[in-house]
Amino acid sequence: MFGLPDITILVFGAVTLIAIAALVYWGITFKGHD
Amino acid sequence: MADFITIAVVSLYFIAMLGIGFWASKKIKSTEDYLVAGRSLGFWMFILLMIGTVCSGMSLLGVSGLGYKMGWPTMWEQVFVPLSIAFCIIFFGVKLHNVAKTAGYVTVQDYLAHRYESPTALRTLAAVAGIIVSLIYLVGQYTAIAIVLIWLFQIPLWLALLIATVVTMVYTAIGGLYAVAWASLIQSIILIVGVLVMAPIIIFYAGGFTHVNEYIASVNPALAMPWMPSGAFAIPYIFSFAILLMVGLACAPHVINNVLAIKDVKYFKWAPLVAFLIYFIAMFLLKFTGFAGLAMVKEGVFTLPNVPNAGDFVILYGIQYALPIIALWAIFAVIVLAAVMSTTDRLMLTIGAMFSWDIYKKVLKPDADDKTVLLLSKIVVVLSAFGTMLLAISPPEMLASLIWMGIGVMLATFAVPLLAGLYWRGATREGALAAMSLGLISSLVIGFLNYFKTVAMGIQFATIPLHFSFYAFVIAILAMIIVSLLTKKTAEKVLNETQTGWYFSK
Repeated sequence: MFGLPDITILVFGAVTLIAIAALVYWGITFKGHD
Repeated sequence: MADFITIAVVSLYFIAMLGIGFWASKKIKSTEDYLVAGRSLGFWMFILLMIGTVCSGMSLLGVSGLGYKMGWPTMWEQVFVPLSIAFCIIFFGVKLHNVAKTAGYVTVQDYLAHRYESPTALRTLAAVAGIIVSLIYLVGQYTAIAIVLIWLFQIPLWLALLIATVVTMVYTAIGGLYAVAWASLIQSIILIVGVLVMAPIIIFYAGGFTHVNEYIASVNPALAMPWMPSGAFAIPYIFSFAILLMVGLACAPHVINNVLAIKDVKYFKWAPLVAFLIYFIAMFLLKFTGFAGLAMVKEGVFTLPNVPNAGDFVILYGIQYALPIIALWAIFAVIVLAAVMSTTDRLMLTIGAMFSWDIYKKVLKPDADDKTVLLLSKIVVVLSAFGTMLLAISPPEMLASLIWMGIGVMLATFAVPLLAGLYWRGATREGALAAMSLGLISSLVIGFLNYFKTVAMGIQFATIPLHFSFYAFVIAILAMIIVSLLTKKTAEKVLNETQTGWYFSK
């Protein structure tokens, strides 16, 4: 896909999606304190 | 000499930055206003300040330059650098902001002095180490200014440096963090919009996303893989690279101090995701212009100058080819200048804060009045600007490497005392002093041995499998654990005041 080996798409795609999922989880669960 | 339009566009940008400085100077009533903008930064101001601080000028030219040299394995940089903003907010920002508001911290050294009950020793060490690494980083920033202004105006290096330094120094010195934050707002918008518009055009002219990938893979299959088979950007190196960028940049003094200036902690809810997405998309495209440049050079579309850092010129030449309109080059020059200045201004201010607040006010002359501290901050901003500019006029050969070295030294020096201080109630003053001093010294030593390809104690430092800073980081961790276990614990009252423990916020 996109002229790249599958492993490149898979590895970068997985890491980026995990990072985004983790940051969405942080946003949903963050209560903060002031 | 450059044409009238180019001079006009760049001059307009400089005038706008100076205007922000004069406007911001009216808001400065105290040192707290000057150094943390009265803790008044809103959501977007904070996000764009963080992006502007992290994205340096050399990262703008260097990102595509590294992509040109080593292809897809270097794309990890575009994942980890945006994550450094998220790491800074989540692991440092929430807790530091909450404690800082009640304790009145102005710099992160205030926190270290409080948490480790070390108002003099650790504060001084942290401030001196912070000033050293910030100066190293600041000298490195000038490379990008020089490359762009010389390319655009064909003016001598000293003049290019002088113009950019004077403008940045003036608005930073008079307007403090208010000016830096407002300038960063404009600079980051210019940077992001500029990259989002120009990078796709270059990629399009190179034949598009798929063609570029196929072409660089035909040149060398490793360039399209997620890692190199050995050496730099092999899997172990990428692991240490992740720590270097995510943690090292997050705890850099000029980055972490921004979390003290936010108005409301609730902004930390979505700031990590929003900052990551914006910066990731822009930097991904920028890196890909490096790949596109490689394809165009190999296809003979244009040639790069015959200099050691030819890769750093790839985006400039790509723009000249894809956008043969001189006025657009001027706009690109402004984009690079925006990236450089958004980091250099924050570095200058951080150096000013560490000297005037941490060393002068808190250690040398505690009875100094606010007016004197404020004046001293401005003087140090001016001195650091001109001092580093003079170093950059006759740059050491390793100038470009200094930025990478600077981040490595920041990681080894600050990450362990900060993380252990915030999350481990067993971390002691002596542990922090040992971790910080050993981290600083070992990272400088291993960094230089690595740079000069030294062979010592049977180790070939040129070919160590991990980034040099990782070894110093491990030394700092061991020093913190061993020394803390052997020394007197911090008072429970202080640990409670500084919200120390395994949680983000109470």
